[in-house]
Amino acid sequence: MESLLSIRGLNVEFQTPSGPLHVLRDINIDVPRGKILGIVGESGSGKSTVIWAINRLLASNGAVNGGTATFDGQDLLALNDRQMLSVRGEQISMVFQDPMTSQIPVLTYDRQMSDIQYRRKELSMKDKRERAIRIMHKVGIPDPEDRILQYPHHFSGGMRQRAGIAMALLMDPLLLIADEPTTALDVTLEAQIIHLIQELRAEFEATIMVVSHNLGLIAELCDQVVVMYAGEVVEYGSVSNLFYEPAHPYTQALLNCDPARTQTKTRYLPVIPGDVPDLHVLPTGCIFAARCSQVMEQCKTTSPAKVQLDESQHVASCHLLDPGLQASGNAPRNVSPQGDALGEARPKPSVESGESLKVEDLCVRFQINSWIRSKIQKRPRFVEAVIDASLSLRQGETLGLVGESGSGKTTLGRAILGLVQAESGSVIFDGQELRTLSRTGFSQLRRNMAMMFQDPVGSLSPRQTVGSLITEPFQIHRINADLDEEAARLCEMVRMPQDFLSRYPHELSGGQARRVGVARALALNPQIIIADEPTAGLDVSVQGEILNLMNELQETHGLSYLIISHNLPVIRHVSDRLAIMYLGRLVEFGDSDEIFSQPAHPYTQALVNGVPQPDPNKRRSLVSIEGEVPSLANRPAGCEFHTRCKYATADCRNTRPRLSEIRVNGLDREVACHYPLAGESVEQERR
Amino acid sequence: MNVTTPRHSVGRERLRLFLRNPMGMFGFILVSLFFIAAIFAPMLATHDPLALDIPNRLSGPTLEHWAGTDQLGRDTFSRVLYGGRVALQVAAIGVSISLILGLGLGMLAGYGPRWLDNILLLLFDSIRSFPTIVLALAAVALLGPSLHLVLVIVIVTSIPSYARLARTSTMALKNTDFVLAEKSLGAGTVRTLIRHIMPNVIGPLLILAAMDVPVVVTIEAGLSFLGLGVQPPMASWGTVLNEGYLIIRLTPWPIVAGGIPLVLTTLGFTFLGEALRDIFDPRLRKGR
Repeated sequence: MESLLSIRGLNVEFQTPSGPLHVLRDINIDVPRGKILGIVGESGSGKSTVIWAINRLLASNGAVNGGTATFDGQDLLALNDRQMLSVRGEQISMVFQDPMTSQIPVLTYDRQMSDIQYRRKELSMKDKRERAIRIMHKVGIPDPEDRILQYPHHFSGGMRQRAGIAMALLMDPLLLIADEPTTALDVTLEAQIIHLIQELRAEFEATIMVVSHNLGLIAELCDQVVVMYAGEVVEYGSVSNLFYEPAHPYTQALLNCDPARTQTKTRYLPVIPGDVPDLHVLPTGCIFAARCSQVMEQCKTTSPAKVQLDESQHVASCHLLDPGLQASGNAPRNVSPQGDALGEARPKPSVESGESLKVEDLCVRFQINSWIRSKIQKRPRFVEAVIDASLSLRQGETLGLVGESGSGKTTLGRAILGLVQAESGSVIFDGQELRTLSRTGFSQLRRNMAMMFQDPVGSLSPRQTVGSLITEPFQIHRINADLDEEAARLCEMVRMPQDFLSRYPHELSGGQARRVGVARALALNPQIIIADEPTAGLDVSVQGEILNLMNELQETHGLSYLIISHNLPVIRHVSDRLAIMYLGRLVEFGDSDEIFSQPAHPYTQALVNGVPQPDPNKRRSLVSIEGEVPSLANRPAGCEFHTRCKYATADCRNTRPRLSEIRVNGLDREVACHYPLAGESVEQERR
Repeated sequence: MNVTTPRHSVGRERLRLFLRNPMGMFGFILVSLFFIAAIFAPMLATHDPLALDIPNRLSGPTLEHWAGTDQLGRDTFSRVLYGGRVALQVAAIGVSISLILGLGLGMLAGYGPRWLDNILLLLFDSIRSFPTIVLALAAVALLGPSLHLVLVIVIVTSIPSYARLARTSTMALKNTDFVLAEKSLGAGTVRTLIRHIMPNVIGPLLILAAMDVPVVVTIEAGLSFLGLGVQPPMASWGTVLNEGYLIIRLTPWPIVAGGIPLVLTTLGFTFLGEALRDIFDPRLRKGR
C-alpha cells in the first residue's frame, strides 16, 4: 500500500527547567493514501506532538532530533520555512479540537475563507467566495450564502466545527489532520461530525489522520490505527486487528478500560495501575513494563523489538510476541484480556429504602436583561434554566443526570445545594425544606451534602496545600478534630500517599486532583454527594480508578450519589436510576438498565444510540439525531423536542406533553412524550 | 498530564530567574543600599545634620565634609542620609497602608454586591481625577504643611490603583470552580476572601507596590521642595534640593548630593519591580 506520509525514526525533545524531556522516541508511522489513520493514546502519549512535529509548529522549547517525514516525495523536516508555508494549509490542513478558539472571532467566515485562498492569485474575490460557499454547502451548513457573512459567534458549536472542516478542505489538501475533532462537542453532535467526515472522505478522496483518545470515535471512523504510549508507537494495525486481536498488553488494557466495551454491569471497572513514566529519565527496557500486568524479567532490561504479526501490517512491540518465546510455548500469544476478577454488579438498593433527597417542581431562572431593558426593548428578562424538575434520591442509590450541554443539569445540581438561587419549588432533605432554611441551619446541612466539581484541578484553591484543602471542611464547620490525623485518615480512604499532603494542586495529575476532590467531599461523612462530571478530563485508565473508588466508598459509607454527566457509557455503568434532561426539563426518569435497554423518549433514544461504539463492526450508517439544542431564550412551542424529533406530529408541535408514568416491562418510569417508545416499535418492525 | 515530574520548587526556579536578570540585580543592589543608608543613618553620618559650621559654609567636597556644606555650613552628606530616612519612612508606611487598604477595598468591590462595587468605583475614580500635587496643595492650604499630611495624601491618592487591580483579579476569580467549591463546603465570605482569593490576588499588588515606591519618594521630595512637606530645619531630599536651589549660583554641591540618591532610588525600585513582574508573570517574559 502506498503511503502518502511516512514518518521514520522521529525523535522530539522538549527543554524544560528540570532537563530535557524525551517526548517522542523513534516514531515510525505510515499514512496510507486515501485511508483514515487514527492515532490513539492517553494524555502524555505524544500523539499531538507528532502532528505538531510534522507541521513544524513545535513550541519554541521543542526540537526534532533526527528522523524523516516523507510527504508526497519530500521530507517535511528538511524543508525551509518558506517551503513549509506552501505545505501547511495547502497540502496539509488541520481541524482543531475547539472551533471556538481556532477561528478568528473578529472576521466573518467570508473574510477568513478568502484569506485562506490568498495563494490563488488567479481567483477573483467572487470566485473565492463561490468556492467557499460551495464547500460550506458540502459540510452541511444551511443557507451558506447568508451564513458566510456571519461571524464565528453567530454559529452554534456543531456548525462552527463544520465550518472548521470547511476551511480545512478549502484548498483541497492531500492530507487532512483532525486533532480531537469531537472532544468539545456533545454526543449527538459527535455522531454528526463522524458521519460528515466519512461522507467527505468518499467525496474528496482525501487522506485523513485523526488524533483522539476516544476509542469509539477511532473504531467508527478509521481504517488503520496507531497506538501510542509515553512517546512510543506500541502497536500499529488495521482497525479490526486492533479491536479484535489487540497484541500489545497496553492496547488490551486500554480497550478493557473503556466502559463502553464492558457490556455487563460489573462491580469494578478495569484500570491500568500506575502512572505514565517520567520522560526525563527513561526506564531501561520496555516503556510499559512498570504498569504491565504480564511483565517478565527481560521487559525490565531490554526494549522489545517490533514483531510483524501476520501478512497484513499488524505490528506490535512486546517481548510476549517474540517468536522465540512463542515457540517455546511459555507464553500464550493472546494473553487473557479480561484478567481481573471484576465481581458481580452491586445489588440495587431496594425500592423501599428511604428517600434521602426529594426535589419537587424546582425552577431556576437567570436574568439576562435588566428590568428597564426588558420593558423598553420588549426582550425577555429571564431565561428558564430549569423548569419543574422533580426527582428523588434514595438512600445508597446512584442517580445519573444526563443531557447535552445547555440542558440545565449542572444548574439543577447546584440549585439543590443552594449554590444557585431557585425561583420556586422545593428541595427536601432529611425531612427539612432547604429553600426556607436559615443560614445556620443550612450550614449544618452542608455537612451532609457535598459536591464534586467538574474540573479536578480548577476546583482546588491553587495556593493551598492538599493537606489544608482536605481538612478545610473541619475548620469551616469548627469541628474539633486532630487535623493531622484526619488528613491521614482521608488520604488512606482515597488511597493517596501521605507525602501528597504537602503538595499544591498544580503539582497533581488529573486523577490525583480528583482523589483530593473526593477526600474533601467525604471529609465530614456526608450522606449525599453531588458529582458534576466526575470523570471529565481524566484518561480512561484513571477514570476507572476514580469510579471504583467512588463505588467502594458508597458501599462502606452508605452514600447516595447524584452523578451529572454527558458520558453515557460511564453513567450506564454506575447509575441505578437515570434522569434525562432536555432544555431544563426532565424528559425521562426511571430505572437505568431499563432505560438503556428500552429508551422511551425519542431524545433518550438518540442519546443512547449516539454513543460511538468501540467496535468497528458496529458502525452506524444513520445519524440518530439531526440539529442542535435550541437556545433557552427561544423555546420551541409544544413539545420542546419536536424540532429535532423524527416522530413529531401536529400534536407535538401544539401541546407540551406532561411528565407521566408509563409501565415498561413491569417497571414504572416517567416520560414526557406523546408517543413514548415510538422509536422502539419502529426499530422492532424493521428487524 | 499524567506524568509524574520530579518536584521542583517554584520558588527556587524564580530565584534562579531573578539571579539571571542583570537589571533586577542592579535594582536590588541599589534598593539594599538605600535601605542600609536610611536605617543606619545615625551611624553612617559624619556630622549632626542640624549642626552649623559657619566658617566652612558653602564649601565643596572636602575630607571633613564629603559632599560639601550649605549656606549655614551644615554637612550635606549627613543631611542626605537623614533625608533618606524620611523618604523610607514615607515610602514604607505610605505604600504598605495603601496596599492593605487598596487590597481590602478592591476585594470588597470585586466580590461584594453590584451597588457596593459601583459606589467604590465612583470613589476611586473621583480620587484619581485629581492631580496629586494639586490635591496636596489644597490640603496643605487648608491644614498647614506637615509630614503626616504628606503621608495621608500619598495613601489616599495611591489606594485607587491598588484597589482597581485587586478588584479586577477578584472578579475573575469570583466565578471559578474553586471558589464555588468553597461555597459548597459552607465557607463564609470572609474565609473565602482571605484564605482563597487574597493569596491569588496579592502577587501583582506587591509588584505594583515595588513600582510605586519611587512615585511616593518623588511625591514626598516634590512636596518638601515646594515647602509643603517636611519643614526646615529637618532634612529631606526635597528640602536639601530646595535649599541648594536657592544657592545654586554659589555652590552646585547640595543639588548634586540631593539629586543623585533620588535618581538612584527611583531607578533601583523601578528595575526591581520590573524584574519581579517578569518573574511572577511569565506571560510578560520576553522571548525565552
